[in-house]
Formats: sequence, structure tokens, C-alpha cells
Amino acid sequence: MKRVRLDRWASQLQPPRNPRLQVQRCALSHETTSLPRRRETQQQRQYITQTQWQCQRRTVSSKRKASTATALQEDGDEVDPETPKHSRPHKSTSGPPPLYAPSHRTAARSAKVAALHARLSLPPKLPLQTLARCLVDPSADPRPDYNNSPFAILGQDLLGYHTTEHLTCHYPRLPMSVLFAAQYAFVGEATLGSIRAEWGVEVVAAPGVEVDAGLLQLKRQVPGNSIVEGTGRRVKDMPGVRALGARLGGGRRNAEWNYRRGVSSRVVFDDEFGDLIGGEPYAGAQLSTSASEDGGAVEADEADGTTSTLPDLPQSPDDTEATTVSDASASFVRAVAGALYLHAGAAATKTFHRDHILSRQLDLHTMFNFTHPTRDLSRLCAREGFEPPVARLISETGRLSRTPVFVVGVYSGDNLLGEAAGASLNEGRVRAAAAALRSWYLYSPSKGEIVLPSDVEGMAAGKGKVWKPQVIDVGEIVT
Amino acid sequence: MPLQALRTVAKSQQSRNEVHTPASTISPPSNNALSAFLKHQLPAFAAQNPSIEISVSPRPGRHPVIKGQYINGREKAICVRNMEATEVTKKAELLKTASGEKLRRDRKPVKSFNESVRGVWSPFHGRQYKI
Repeated sequence: MKRVRLDRWASQLQPPRNPRLQVQRCALSHETTSLPRRRETQQQRQYITQTQWQCQRRTVSSKRKASTATALQEDGDEVDPETPKHSRPHKSTSGPPPLYAPSHRTAARSAKVAALHARLSLPPKLPLQTLARCLVDPSADPRPDYNNSPFAILGQDLLGYHTTEHLTCHYPRLPMSVLFAAQYAFVGEATLGSIRAEWGVEVVAAPGVEVDAGLLQLKRQVPGNSIVEGTGRRVKDMPGVRALGARLGGGRRNAEWNYRRGVSSRVVFDDEFGDLIGGEPYAGAQLSTSASEDGGAVEADEADGTTSTLPDLPQSPDDTEATTVSDASASFVRAVAGALYLHAGAAATKTFHRDHILSRQLDLHTMFNFTHPTRDLSRLCAREGFEPPVARLISETGRLSRTPVFVVGVYSGDNLLGEAAGASLNEGRVRAAAAALRSWYLYSPSKGEIVLPSDVEGMAAGKGKVWKPQVIDVGEIVT
Repeated sequence: MPLQALRTVAKSQQSRNEVHTPASTISPPSNNALSAFLKHQLPAFAAQNPSIEISVSPRPGRHPVIKGQYINGREKAICVRNMEATEVTKKAELLKTASGEKLRRDRKPVKSFNESVRGVWSPFHGRQYKI
């Protein structure tokens, strides 16, 4: 894989122009007036959040203490209480942009960040400041120059790429649905969330400049089952809460959550797990206009004429939507991978992926859920030109007892394709057919034959392996 | 749909014994030996173990304590009252090498996620006994 040059990403990577001009402000000051251009759903959500956490809200005057007092030493000259709140940094030319997360200067002194850097054995090329920026979720600071979203987009693609090439080269016959599920098991949100916990990265209660830079900064979503104060109703029962299934769907047609989508359309339109691409498009994303012409798109109805860019990006965490710890953890781990690629190169990213993702245990044979294994097996034998499969009883015990065991084998001619035991003759036959299919799908070439594309491409001369053509299967059995 | 897939999560193969110690809290006292430890031995200890986060916090009027906080959520605390600096270093090493799990005897030599290679015993396979 060709390495992206650092200066192409420079605007997002480099710290703000003049760090001396940074102004820290308290991100928890809710008493200021709201922005004029705020969307309706966000207003309602904000209302719910405020009523929910009313007692826990703090004003600017009340001090919050960081969890480790030693790591955070505030600079007196950096704090300027006279700065107007909610100043739009990219549009207003008067004041410096406000900070919603710990500054990179406190990040360099944070014991948590340094310990995390050492614990993950990251290369010294990756600076502590970048690692601290990886810990800032877009919900804590929506500006892409300050949060981890540019790194996370790159890291998601990198982790997905390395996982896919590992799976497809090692198991070339894996069916598409199992491949999607295996991708999810390796680099899905749930796994990355547990990786974050195993790394020892803790999550803030509420984001802000004053907390330790080594904590994962996010605005927590209010649990749907919690009771809104004074109403006696649950958060998810309140009016105005968006339905869970209403996701954007990346501009594809029929993006409702319950719309039936085939595997082929998942390959083309959806993400690497076969899920709908959800959430807001990232800043500067090219939104498709063809879908809006057809009239089938969910969004881009109100935004007439401005479909190429997003109309108004949120500039402060008051405008962002809260997120879950699992999603924020996933974006953090992905951002570390992306930042590692930008700072230390492709080889370091591959090592990172091998150490932290591929080292995890996944039993692929437990992920198959056959509905008609005997039918699939006979179709397979017909396709491959084998003799039609025949189930034969190998042995049995206790046929008239309460717990009979039948060992059934599925044979194609003289070849035993699969063998399994069952409590009835039919169960043994079905299990044997499923075992035969599993062993077909989980075929893996010998180790010497497997050469990953990333072993060859982009490596220095003499370091990369010699490319060997990899097995490409005809495809799974379609019945 | 002929074949569906079951979603799972890949499990970490790191056993509990290899869990890092992310944080270690040391509370300084008025004791001379401990202030010597904080001045001379603790920087060296921190330099040797960069993956451990160390924080020092005052505990006025109470006995000095070293606490190890582990990734599995447990905490181990050792009171270091009246200890020499070298003894405190030994206690810090003890916390460092501990896994955070409760101390218990391992009765089985090998732990594994994999199911047994031999599987459930079957009367029809392997060596057939003739009576």
C-alpha cells in the first residue's frame, strides 16, 4: 500500500497555528445563550439532556478537579475569562479559537498519555500530542482540526483493509455473510470497545479542558431507560427523540433499517460489516447527488443547492449529538491506527494490527448458521462435479434408550466429506452435512502459499515478499 | 437466505496473569525514609516502567500507602509505615509484578480458549477394546 504523504494531511495534523494564542474555556458552561442556527431535534435533545442532568450541572465558577491532580497543571496565563463564549473560530477573526478538550501542552505533560504510549509500545515517531488528540471524540469537539475524526476515518479503512486481506487470503472460500461477521468480530465497535478497556483507557464523566488529557473525551448519551426528572417518563419515551432505526444510510435507496438488503448490495453500498453507513458524513465529504435526483434519498431534501458540502458544521460541543462509549472507543482505536500510519508508516500500522487485532481469538467455525445444509451440500457436489452426497450410519449406541447416539457420515462416493453425531438419525445427517460444508468453506491454503498484498506493496526494495497468486474461489453456494 | 452468520466478538488471548498495571498511587508521609524514596528511588522506578502511571498525592495525618490499580478494576494497597526506602521499592516491585487478580492457587497447568483437541470421548473411535 502506498503511503500517504504527511504534508497532504498537514492541515489536520499540525497543531493550531500559534499555540500561545490558545484560550481555555470551560466546556460545561451551559448558561450562555444558545446558537441561533440549531436544529429542531438537537434542541429537543438538549432539553432532555439538561433536564436529566440538571443537578449535576456546574457553572464556570465552580471548580472541577481532574482525576489525577499531578498530571494537570494549569497555566495561569492561558486562561482568559473575558473571551466571549461560542465564538465561531473559523468565521470570527477577532479572538483565538476556544478549546473544548485539553490543550496539546497539557497532553505532553499528562502521565496517563505517556503511560498509554509506553504501554502500547508505540514508536516514538508518534507524538504524545497526537495520541491525546486521538482521545477527543467528535462529540466532545466537533471541529475536525481538533478531534480524532480525520484519523478515525483513515484508521477504519486501514484496519478494515488489513483484516479483509488476512481473512480473504487465509480463508478464500469464506461466504460473504461470514466474512462480514468476521470483520465485525475483529474490528467492529464491540471489539474495539473492549480493546479500549484492555488498554486501560478510562472515559471522562463530562468532557472539558480541565480533565486529564489521557482520558477518552466524549459527550455521553443519556441512557434511554433513565427517567427524565419531573416527568416520570423514560428518555426514549419522550417526544422528539429520533427513532433508533432512522439512520442516514449513506445516501443509498431504501435505507430504512428493516428494508431487506441482499448481500451483493451490501458489498457495494454498505460499510465493511455489511451495515448501513450511519451518522453524519464527515466534513468535506462528497455527497451523492444522483440519489436526490431520483427522489429516493432520505436526506438532501432541505439542503437544496448545497448538496456538495454540509450546510453548517457544528463548531462547539453544545451543538453535537451525544455518543455512546462503545462508538467513541471504536473511533479512538481507529484514530490510533490512522495516526500511526501517518506518523510511522505502513509497516508500523501492520504491526499494530497484528499485535492488537489479529492476536485476538475468533472461532470462525462457530459463526456459520446453516438453514438447509443437506440441500447446500448436494448443490455443492453438483457444482464441483463430485458424486452426490450420501449419508451413512457409521455407528450407533442406545437406539432404544433415552439418549441414543448416532454417528453419521456424509460420503461422496468413497470419500468421507463430513461426520457428526446426533441424537436422531436425521440430526446426525444434518450435522454431518453442516460439518462437510464448514470444512469446505474454511479451507485454508498452506502457510507458504499465503502472501498478503500488504507484504509486497509499498515495502522497501528487498524487504517485501515475492508475490504469489492467491486462491480466488468461485463463490459460495447459492440455493 | 441459505447461510447466515452469527456475530461475535474476538476475544483477547491475553491471560489474566499478563494484565498490566496501569496506575500506581503512592502517598507521601512525613517520614524521612519515604521522602528519600520519593526523591531518589521513585524517579528510577518510573523510568524503568514507563507503562505504569504513577501519581503522588498527600495523605496528611495518616499512614503512607502504596496502591496499585489494575486494568481488571481491582486495587491492591500496601501500608508502608516505618519502612526503609529499599523496602518500599520492594513493595512497589511486588505491586508491579502482581496481576491484580486475587491470589489463588492454579490447579490446572494450562488454560485455553480452545476446546479439547480430543473432544468428547466416543466408544466408536480410537482403540477398540476386545473383551
